[in-house]
Amino acid sequence: MSKHHALDRFGRSGNPVIRSAAFQERVSGNEERMSLEGAVNKTGILLFLTVIAAAVSWNYQGPLMTLVSSLGMFVAFVSGIMTFGFYFFFVGWLVEPRPHNAPRTAPVYAIGMGFFIGLISQQAESLYPGIVIQAVSLTFFVAASLLLAYKTGVIKPNQNFLLMVFSATMGIFLTYLANLIYFAVTGNNFFVLTDNGTMGIVISLFIIGIAALNLVLDFDIIEQADEQGAPKYMEWFGAMALVATLIWLYIEILRLLMKLRGR
Amino acid sequence: MSYLTIVTGLLGLISVFVFFYLLKFKASTKQTQRNDRIKWSKYIPYKNETPVVDSEKESDDAKFKDN
Repeated sequence: MSKHHALDRFGRSGNPVIRSAAFQERVSGNEERMSLEGAVNKTGILLFLTVIAAAVSWNYQGPLMTLVSSLGMFVAFVSGIMTFGFYFFFVGWLVEPRPHNAPRTAPVYAIGMGFFIGLISQQAESLYPGIVIQAVSLTFFVAASLLLAYKTGVIKPNQNFLLMVFSATMGIFLTYLANLIYFAVTGNNFFVLTDNGTMGIVISLFIIGIAALNLVLDFDIIEQADEQGAPKYMEWFGAMALVATLIWLYIEILRLLMKLRGR
Repeated sequence: MSYLTIVTGLLGLISVFVFFYLLKFKASTKQTQRNDRIKWSKYIPYKNETPVVDSEKESDDAKFKDN
């Protein structure tokens, strides 16, 4: 029997160590591996693109820019789905994650979301001067605090943590989706989302907490992908996940500050 | 611009530097060396899309005589 027939007939080794995922995850010798520094650089690039796009949309107000901002958000949403996939309760993955798309979709996502947050930031600033600087500062303050907690091992994400955060995030997403449909039909928003009383503020704080915990998951993805010698595109994937969460956190903090200032 | 805005702005600037500075460091062993870590490769397929098969390389399988 030739060696190839034996391989076909009996298969690869049954040794669980050799068959483990660790061997599948290794990058071949010819391909570049990701690094933490690379992921940091990509994060910086994406945030820079976001800020530039936001600055453009802030300064050039008008119906055309409103259209561009709305289109930007839609394009960002599609880029996000093409990279992170789309998971739905009781159904599973409607779109599978495709991290290798990240080098192409990440800059598109950053620019698209930049146009959107520039528009909402300018509107918030016109109502409450100084609110944008406060929101940006608080966003990075929360991010830096959680990063310190993660790096020092104070927060240790495990499977239960993932399940809790993922479930809460999906719940928030479904609430926003329901609110969008309700708004489209009635022209009103859900009271709990727009209320600037105690209930509305507590809800906002809860959502900010969940967004912040998502940051911990992003840090863990980047850390583990670096440890495992993941391909270079994982730098873009990790950076995109981090920037997406930072943007969400910023929007929620901005919303909370507007509620507090509006009381 | 109010004092609160200036103070929070400075805090934010410091936070940005701290954030990018800390991001470059590996996490402590307290974080990385534990048994209950999330196995991200199970959820995010970041293995090679096209496995490299080197037919020139000597196989590790047992050599059977060709019949």
